[in-house]
Amino acid sequence: MLLKIRASLKQLSRIRDFVVDSVTPLGVSPASIDDLRLAVDEAVTNIITHGYGGPGDIELKLENDGVDLIIVLRDQAPSFDPAHAPAANLEPPGERDNPGGFGVYLMNSVMDEIRYQSSDTGNELTMIKRGVVGKAVPPG
Amino acid sequence: MRLKGSLDANTQNVLENKAKEAVDAGAEYLLLDLSGVDYLGSAGMRAIHAITNLLSPDDPSMRSPNLKILNPSPAAAKVFKTLGFDAFIDVHNSVDEAIAAL
Repeated sequence: MLLKIRASLKQLSRIRDFVVDSVTPLGVSPASIDDLRLAVDEAVTNIITHGYGGPGDIELKLENDGVDLIIVLRDQAPSFDPAHAPAANLEPPGERDNPGGFGVYLMNSVMDEIRYQSSDTGNELTMIKRGVVGKAVPPG
Repeated sequence: MRLKGSLDANTQNVLENKAKEAVDAGAEYLLLDLSGVDYLGSAGMRAIHAITNLLSPDDPSMRSPNLKILNPSPAAAKVFKTLGFDAFIDVHNSVDEAIAAL
């Protein structure tokens, strides 16, 4: 399943809907669907705001092998490796003048594996959630 | 404040601005009802973080007793907990309960 979108924050709801609509028929549990939706939103937000910072295109691909769910995001923005983002500062809010790193922290907490590759042809972010396909309890 | 829709990077500023208007108009307490919020991500949490600073800028305990969160979805509650916000912002499941805790 493939979705190509413009790098605009206005596209975020469309991307989240695409994730939910794509993985629901695969028998992914509601809690795992929430996790996948969150990880994709955070990753795409980072590409838009930290990567492009302006116009561009983003490609989202969802794959599964019957067990694991694999998300691949491709873009041609200047390289932004989420692993190099500032660490989430989890001190109380009075200590946090300029909170950052929440998005990457959330991505890491809900996905089992995150890989980032950058080359002349662009960037590729791969996020894997293991063992979620076909796990939802059937209705009724 | 009753929120409706998605709380993401596209709408973060809307919430921050509305909260600031309320505080500028004299509000000392804010109840954020999330029952109509279908998505909450890190951008929404940054807005909520900014609101805690607006309401309790000098609170040495770092807790935010003047801000209460109401009726988050399971997904929103998980984001709260994962980022540790539940340690300093109270989450309630009814208006009466939240008001009683003020």
